[in-house]
Parts: sequence; C-alpha cells; structure tokens
Amino acid sequence: MRFAVDTGGTFTDLIVEEDDGKLRMFKAATTPDDPIRGLMNTLESAALEYKIDLGELLSKGDLFIHGTTHAINAIVTGNTAKTAFLSTEGHRDILVFREGGRMEPFNFTVPFPEPYLPRALTFEVPGRILADGSEMTPLDEEKVIQIIDLLKEEQVESVAVCLLWSIVNSDHELRVGELLQKHLPDIPFTLSHALNPSLREYRRASSAAIDASLKPLMSEYMNNLNGRLRGAGFKGRVLIVTSQAGVMDAEDIADSPIHLINSGPSMAPVSGRYFAKVDEEFDSAVVTDTGGTTYDVSLVRKGGIPWTRETWIGEPYRGHMTGFPSVEVKSIGAGGGSIAWVDEGGMLHVGPQSAGAVPGPACYRQGGEKATVTDASLVLGHIDPVFFLGGEMELDLNSSKKVILEDVANPMGLTLEEASAAIISVATENMVQAIVDITVNQGIDPRETVLIGGGGAAGLNAVAIARRLGCYRAIIPEVGAALSAAGAMMSELTYQFRRTHFTTSEGFDYQGVNHLLENLRHSCNEFIENTGKGAIESKVEYFAEARYPEQVWEIEVPISSPNFENINDINKLVNEFHKTHEDLFAINDPESGIEIVGWTASVKCRIRDKEGGSLVSVNSQDMIEKEREAYFVNQGFLMSQVKRFESLELGEAVVGPAIIESPFTTVVIDPGAKAYRKVSGSLSIDPGVSYE
Amino acid sequence: MNNESVDGVKLALLSNRFEGISRKMGNTLMRTGRSGVLNIARDFSCCILTGKHELLAVAESLPIHVLSGPDIMAESMISFHSDIRRGDAFLHNSPYHGCSHPADHTILVPVIDDDGIHRYTVAAKAHQADIGNSIPTTYHGTARDVYEEGALIFPATKVQENYETNMDIVRMCRMRIRVPDQWWGDFLAMIGAARIGEREILELGNEVGWDNLEKFNEEWFNYSEQRMVTAIRNLPQGKASCRSTHDPIPGTPEEGITIKSSVTIDPKAAEITVDLLDNPDALPCGLNLSEACSRTAAMVGVFNSIDHSLPKNAGSFRRIKVLLKNNAVCGIPSHPTSCSAATTNVADRVTNPTQSAIAEIADGLGLAECGGIFTPGLGVISGIDPSNGKPYVNQIMLAFTGGAGGPEADCWQTICHVGNGGLCYYDSIELDELRHPLYVHSREFIKDTEGAGRYCGARSAYSEYGPIRGKMDVAYISDGSKNSAKGVRGGLHGTPSQHYKISRNGDRVELTNVGVVSLEVGERIVSMTTGGGGYGKPIERSPEMVLHDVNENYVSMKRAEEVYKVVFDELGSIDVSATEELRSTSAT
Repeated sequence: MRFAVDTGGTFTDLIVEEDDGKLRMFKAATTPDDPIRGLMNTLESAALEYKIDLGELLSKGDLFIHGTTHAINAIVTGNTAKTAFLSTEGHRDILVFREGGRMEPFNFTVPFPEPYLPRALTFEVPGRILADGSEMTPLDEEKVIQIIDLLKEEQVESVAVCLLWSIVNSDHELRVGELLQKHLPDIPFTLSHALNPSLREYRRASSAAIDASLKPLMSEYMNNLNGRLRGAGFKGRVLIVTSQAGVMDAEDIADSPIHLINSGPSMAPVSGRYFAKVDEEFDSAVVTDTGGTTYDVSLVRKGGIPWTRETWIGEPYRGHMTGFPSVEVKSIGAGGGSIAWVDEGGMLHVGPQSAGAVPGPACYRQGGEKATVTDASLVLGHIDPVFFLGGEMELDLNSSKKVILEDVANPMGLTLEEASAAIISVATENMVQAIVDITVNQGIDPRETVLIGGGGAAGLNAVAIARRLGCYRAIIPEVGAALSAAGAMMSELTYQFRRTHFTTSEGFDYQGVNHLLENLRHSCNEFIENTGKGAIESKVEYFAEARYPEQVWEIEVPISSPNFENINDINKLVNEFHKTHEDLFAINDPESGIEIVGWTASVKCRIRDKEGGSLVSVNSQDMIEKEREAYFVNQGFLMSQVKRFESLELGEAVVGPAIIESPFTTVVIDPGAKAYRKVSGSLSIDPGVSYE
Repeated sequence: MNNESVDGVKLALLSNRFEGISRKMGNTLMRTGRSGVLNIARDFSCCILTGKHELLAVAESLPIHVLSGPDIMAESMISFHSDIRRGDAFLHNSPYHGCSHPADHTILVPVIDDDGIHRYTVAAKAHQADIGNSIPTTYHGTARDVYEEGALIFPATKVQENYETNMDIVRMCRMRIRVPDQWWGDFLAMIGAARIGEREILELGNEVGWDNLEKFNEEWFNYSEQRMVTAIRNLPQGKASCRSTHDPIPGTPEEGITIKSSVTIDPKAAEITVDLLDNPDALPCGLNLSEACSRTAAMVGVFNSIDHSLPKNAGSFRRIKVLLKNNAVCGIPSHPTSCSAATTNVADRVTNPTQSAIAEIADGLGLAECGGIFTPGLGVISGIDPSNGKPYVNQIMLAFTGGAGGPEADCWQTICHVGNGGLCYYDSIELDELRHPLYVHSREFIKDTEGAGRYCGARSAYSEYGPIRGKMDVAYISDGSKNSAKGVRGGLHGTPSQHYKISRNGDRVELTNVGVVSLEVGERIVSMTTGGGGYGKPIERSPEMVLHDVNENYVSMKRAEEVYKVVFDELGSIDVSATEELRSTSAT
C-alpha cells in the first residue's frame, strides 16, 4: 500500500493506492499551525473508511510520498532562520541589486524591495577567483575567522556563502565551509557552488540564501514528520516531492530544502502528462489547477515538463528569484473565492482580491460579504447548493443572490443571471490570459494541446477555457480534485547534477567536456546505486545550456550521446540547438555557431510498476435530481441533465447542456459540448463550439 | 459618457483580449531579439493602434517609447501609401515622422480585414545595437545635424509586400549597419511580433465582428477618458513651473540646456496642461527631442504623478494637453536637426520638471527628479581581446540608480533614467567577465548618498572595473555630474555622478563628464551613479525608517542626526523624546 499526501493552502489531499492498483481519495482542511496534524487527519479518515485503526493502515504502507507548501509559507510569512550572507569583498550588494528590472513602470507606490538576507548580516570575504578559475587574490582566512566570531556574536542560525566564480574554482568556498564547520560546528550552512553550480552570481547567491534560511526549520519538519509517522506505525520509506517534479528521501531534502519551494504544484503536470497520454494520446497539455484563491498553470511539451530557473517568490522583480531549477508554474490570483467588483468607470473586474477559504464566498455564510466566482456559479445553477463537496457543506443561494445584485448587477444595469454569467466570463478570460502568457514563453500552441482541469472547481469553466484556446479536448481526471497528490503517486526519484564549463562550437574543448560528462555520469550512477536501489528502471539524460553568441539567455538542449569524439558530434549538438530554438521562439539562425555555458545530467529512477490507477467509488448519498435548470450565456436557463461522475458508463456520451457531479467536483457541459467517460476514469470533453 | 451606456462586460473582456495580444507581441519580441540592448535594457515596445491611429493597447514597455509617437507613425504610413494591403509591413525610424529616435527601428503592420478595410495598425519597436551612424554609437550626442549623425532614415518605408521582404532594403542596411547579423535578427523578431499581433487581431475580428470592435474602441476610449476625468476632478487646482538643466556637452551652451515645464491642473475642465513653449531653439547637437519624445516625456511626467492604475491610451490622453513649439530643443524638430539621443538626456529633463511641478502644486502628488544617465557604469567598452585577437564592443549595464522619492514611498533604486522606468536589467558580473576581458573589482551602494526626504531618492552606486588583459576603451556621456536630481517639497538633492581613473599605483584622477578613457591592465575606472531627489523634508521621515537605514549600513548615525534629526541612545535605539525635541526645534 502507498500513500501520497499533498498539503495545499486550503486542503490536504490524500491518495491511497492499494496493492491491486485501486485508488482512494481523501481530503481534510489544512492546519497551518501544525501542517502534520492535517496530514495525520487525512490518514485517520482513510483508516475510518477502511474500518481499521490508523496503526494497522500505516503498517501496510511501503511508501509515503509527501508534497508540502511548508517551505514557501515559511518564507512568505517571514518564519525562516536568522541567516548570514558571506560574499566576495566589494560585492556585498548582490542580493540587493538582484538583476534589476521592474514591473508597472508608472507605479511609484511600491519601494525598492528589501534583500532576502539583511545587509546588516552580510559580510565581505577577501579573496578573488577569476573567470578562468585562476586565483587573483588569495583567501584571507584570518578575516574569515573574524567574520565567524561576529556570526557567533550575532547568534545567527544559518549561513549562506556565495563567492564569485566558485563554480569554476570552488577552493575558496570549500575552505570557508571548513572554517565554518570548525568554528561554528552546530550552525548549518550552504555553499553556493555545491547547491546550484550555475553562472550568474545573483541567482546562485539567492539559491544559497533561501536554502540556508530554510535548513533549521525544514530539518525539524522532516524529523517531526518521520517521528510521527513511525510513531503511528509506518515502517516504509518517506519521500518528499521536489520543485523538479521528482521525489527525494526526506533525510536528503533536509540538507537542501530549496528543493521544496514548488513542492506540490510541481506534481500537477506529472498527472497531466499521464492523463493526456492515456485518455487522448496527446503528448502536449496545458495543466491547470484551480484552487480557492489561485489558479496554477503548468505545461507538458512533447512528453517533457518544461522547467525554468526564473521562479520568483512573490511578484517578479519585487520578490526573490530562487535561481534554482523548478517546473514552470504560472500562478495568478483567480479561483472560486475571487471577488467581482465594478470600477468607477463601470467596468467589471474579477480578482485579484479573494475571499479565500475564510471568510470565503457569501454562500458559505461564514462572514463573506463580497460577490465571488463561486456565488456566481451557484446563482447560475451550475453548483447544487445541497451537493457541494458531496453535501458536506450546504450553500446559501440567497446570500449569493444578494451580493451579486448589490455588487455587480445593480451597478451595471444587468439582471442577476447576466451579472453572474459575466463574472464567470471575466474570470475565464483572466485564466485564458495566464495560459497564453506561459504557452508563448514555452513556444507551445494551445491548439495542439489538451486542457487538463485539476482542482475541485476546474469543471465549472473548463469547456469555456478550452473553447477560447482551441484545445482539442478538456480532460477532467477522476482524481482531478487531488491532481498533485495523484502526480506524487506517479513520480520518480530524480536528481539533477550540473557543471559550469564554457566552450564554443568553433573552439570546442573535447577533453574538458568529455571529462566533465564522465564525472556527471559517475554522479548519476552513484545516485542509482544508493538512492535508486531497488528501482524498476533508471534513466540518465544529458543536456547542454547553450545560446547564440550575442544572446544573454541560455536554452537547454538534449545531448543524445554524452561523448564528443569529432566534428560530427558537435554538429549534432548545434543542429539540435537550432531545432530547439526554432521550437521555442519560432526562428533560428542556422549559419551561426553556438556557445555552451553549462552541462546537466538528469537521473530518474522509476519506483512504481503501474502507471495510472482508477478510483474506487466512494459511498455517497443517492442521486435525487435527474435534471435542473442551469444558465448559459445568451441562452438563459436551459433544462440540463444532471449526471453522477462515478456512475457514467464507459463511452457514454453526455451532451450539453448538462452538469456532471461528484463529491469532489462539478463539471459544466455547455450546449454544443460532449463529454465521454474514459477507461482511466477521466471525463474527456469535446468542447465543440458555442451557439452564440 | 454616462455609465449606463457602457457595456462593462464587453469592455472587460475585449480590453483584456487586446492587452493580451500586445503582451503576446511583447513577449515574442523579448524572447526572440538578438541584441543586448533589447534583451537586457528591455529597450523595445509593442502596441496596437486603431484604424484612426489612436493608441488602443500597449504591452508593458519602456515609458518613453509609446505614449505618443506610434499614432504619428501610423498616420505617416497612410499618408505616404494610399494603397495599403494585407501583407504589407513598413520600416519606420524617422524622428521627423513620429519615431522616437533613429535607433528605434519600428515595424508597422496594417491589419486589413477580408473586405480590404484597414482596421488596426500594430507596431513593434526595438532599439538597435547599431544603425549605421558616423561613429559606433546609437546615441550621437554631439552630432551637428542628421548628416553628421549618419543614420539611415526610413520614413515608413515599405519592407514587405504580400508577406515577402524587399531584400533591396535589407541589403542596404547590411552594407551600412556595423552588426548586420544582430540587426537582421532583431528585424526578424520585430516582423514576427507584428505578424503575431496581426494574426490575433484578424481572428478576434472574425470572432467578434469588426463593427463590434469599432464600437468597443470608442467605448474603451470613453471609459478611459472618464477614469481620467474623475481622477483630475479629485486633484487640487494649481499651476507650477520647474526647470531642469542638462549638463553641458560639446554642442550645447556652456551652462548646459535648461528646460522649463509649466504644468496647470484644471479640475473644472478636467484637464492637465504641460506647457513646453518657453524653451530654447534646437541646438547643433544630437540631444534635440523628436516630436514623439517631446510629447511622451511630458506625458510620462504626468502619469508618474497621478494614480498609476489609470489606463494609458488615446482616451485618457484626451485630458492631457502638451504645448510644443516648432524647432525647439524639446518641441517639433525640423529636418536636418539631429535627434540622435532623443529618448534619454533632454527627455529626462522634460519629464523631471513636469513631475516636480506637479509635486509643488500639492503634497501627495508628483515625484522628485530622477537622476541623469550614462555614467561609466553604463559605459561602452571596446578593444581587442588578446586571447583570441577578436575586437569587442558592447555597452555594459553594470551600475545605475537614479530613482526619485515619491509621495507614498521611497524610490525604486534602479530606475536607470526616468524614461526607462526601471525596466533595465543589471548585468551579472560573472556573465560580463565571461563575455569580455573585463575585471569588476566592486559594485555596491555608497553610504550616505541618498536623496534625503520624507521619502528618499536613490543612493549612488559605486562600480570599479578595468581590463584583465589587453587595452580597453570606455566611452560614456554622463548627465548629472553638475546638475544632480532635485528634491521636491523640501526633499534634498540626490548625489551628483562622479568618475575617476585609478592608476596602477593607486592614484585617482577625476574624469570629465563626457569621454573615452583608455585603460591598461591594472588600471581601473570608477563610476558613481547619480542618485535621485527626495520627496518632503528629511525631518518628516519616520524615525523607524531612518533606524532601518542605519541598521542596514546605508546611513551613518551622524547623518541620521544631522539630516533627519533622529537621536539614538547608547544601545542604538531611537531616543524618542530627544528626537521629538530636536525635530521641533529644527522645524522652527
């Protein structure tokens, strides 16, 4: 038996996989003061469902896979360790200047951001390495020891070290590490070259700073998690989801907690890739996850999951770039709790403000007094007030009507239903624009994808989004409400090893590159033999980070065989670069040579012998309604058939207007759209065209 | 213009669609451009104009690029070409016909519906690495006229017909432009971005109907105008004039160029007027403004000063009047006046006094002055790299600050110059050292250099660099060493820029504000950037903010006490009563 738990902002999702591959899904409220409590709660409710006690349930488990927002929350709420920053003399403001840039050029109400680590805790280390790795100025060890004395005085809890060019000659950084170990033995530290050996000092420094600041907290969290699981009877392996859409052992991740920044959302495309393939044989997908306050978009491109090193914590240019590879996820403030409002010029806006889970939409009757997207869906008859979350929470239609009339319909001179439909349309358009942004940046045409709708509220406008973008199908996986947890269940042990080594296609350094690739191969094999022991299969892929000579940003190009013998091997790489450049940016320059800056080996070990899995139907109240009135734009209220998700027959077509409901989700099938149940359990919807 | 007639839903949906299209154009141009000035300084823009040449939607772009200018360019395209067809594209960089300055090559594509009607024009503009000037810079500040400047000028020249490029023009450019491959790469990127805009608008027109789109245009402009009317009606009535002086360079009077901007806020008429009539005639140098930059620089000053969420399009522009004189240094230039550096130097000296004047009209409005541009921290480095024998020439974006204090917040430190709005990226030192035979000794903020105020202007940034092998030339034209950024409403000036050469024995020699400096290995150049002005009196600054600056080693305790009148006790905490007392005696 296996458990996958994803702790999100509002809900903690659990998927249990039985030994025959059957899946069960459970949800509980997230408990921010002690997130492990919420996690244990989901396990308790699973035990209840299986009618055994928790110890017995856990003792059957061999794997526990966990995604958590604990690390990112600690950063956002300022609960990280008191951390010092050691940089090269003359360069103490690396974290202050960052890489420049600004959003909203006319907005002078937002001051320049504070650095991730305060300047007061920044110390300059004398000693300088140059771009070719040579030492210009030796490391002043006495000065380093003086700095360490100051760190003691300041009672810092962690230390980040980033020296210029440590990626080509790490002697100085390593020596500083030794001195820290010796003179400050109980304080954790991060060396930038060891954590993130990449060019560009700000990104490397930022990675090191974020990592170091999380170390005390996350080692405690991992110990706590391990202890409580073991204490409750779990004897198997505990794996943690990383930003790179893989998993790592809990003990290892405590040593480099920066891997946790996107833990959770990074798993949505893993699920998405599986369902796109199994349901519609597509290898490209737009994967969406609709929460209460945020809408996350990630991608699958030709079977791969695009990643980025430009992940921001907070807003671009105002927050902190992690500089660390992560699955690319674009997040906007849009979801069921997004608030609808009309500005002084009479234009309707939805979000970015959100009523969140507390007080939540007006219909929750928990003090919410603003019109939200969920209120609009309720008024339109898309959500059933007595069958929300399988009937766990009864919604109050009258409260929704009241706030929509007051906040939107009356100020705009619209009927209640027109106003509600308008709220959904504007929210849909906001989501569409988020998808357009990320697909342009990754060179993907949404018309060549399927849309994967994850999150409980995805089905409310998945058809509308698919129509706007021209997606071939909208797929609502049966486990869509726990898309990330499902992805965690399918994930592999992964790790990326990187080296910086500059060379060009014209003056290629055969010896240097082959030596480096050999080292990378060795690291991967070590990983396979230790961490990956017992895996079903293992795979190593190599990549070059390259660019055209005048360019300043690199792109990643696969290397088919990690050994360069002659000009043919180089030509292969150069051609692959031209092709990738064209895929991403629609143009290339086939006459030009290339420059290679970095080299990566990515190792993956598969630990699960199955691919997907289908959900066991859970007991829920019987269907009462067979049809009800639902409102559609330009068509008004139409009598729409209402179907239970889990009782749909394979291949049976549900023709819109229709509503398909489960205890976890509601899917609106607009007139003109058709839905089919797939073998995997998914609902695949042909969006068709609207009758407008 | 009453709210009842507005369809606020269509407005929301379609404005979002058009903004999305312009953003898609911008993202495409950003990702595909080849030259560093496009990729690093983000010196590019994309926008959509109506068939009547009104600015409809703009991707987040350099402020000085787009508010006014694209409208005049689109109009010139039609006036020069009576028979435009789908598939046409035009190259435009003429400052006499609406372009900002000749370095900003622009591709204009008319969007023609299936019936042959010209519905929209899309524009993609990108500053080029080289445009064939007489010397290897795109900012020829000392050029007597356009002939000495030397750029090829394209006044809406047709470069594509039926989606096919006219290679005659490409060959002309390749024979004249020093980095033809980079130019060609950027040309393709601009064409690509403009064609994406065209394709998406054609799809939108077919989906929604062209007449509905026309209706939307007008509603969108009315909505935007109404937002502007409401905003201006809430401002106090007032009039103020401010002056700002560009440092002298060859070709300018000895005292430099002083620009006067007079701003009138008329809440009754719901109008803001910027009067630039009382200004010198065009000068025999490359600092004169194009009409596009004269108007835009004034409008940037206005939009920097009021609610930032107001839409920026032809509708809101109806409420801003900019008065310009023919053939002035900041007016409407006549050929062959050179406008080579029209987007930066004098343009900054138009925007700065405009926003300062608004600040002087009422507390809570406007902005202090931002600092000048082009210290050696933004120098053009060149030489021959002995490791491969190849010549190199490149502008480095090593250090710049200049942000102005505002009515609600401290500055954005790295604004670059007011017309850039802070979009410019900072170079990575490792990347610069990898690309060039360069050694960057240090880069950091300088203590006690902020433009003190209730809200502070930027500090100076220090950078020190030189060649690691071979000889290196550094070229720069620094504005702001004589005329620093002024504060407003009692805020203090920013620190002026300074430049030094450090010889091998450690001697420091001060450098002039314009120059080309040769450095040998072991010699270094020092650049201290111009800071920004403060907003409001320093004694009005919250003591907690002063304490924070002290703790972070930006401000010394001595300066905190002398300038901000904040007193600390032995433990370094604020002595509240002593501070109150000192502040009350200082105020009187």
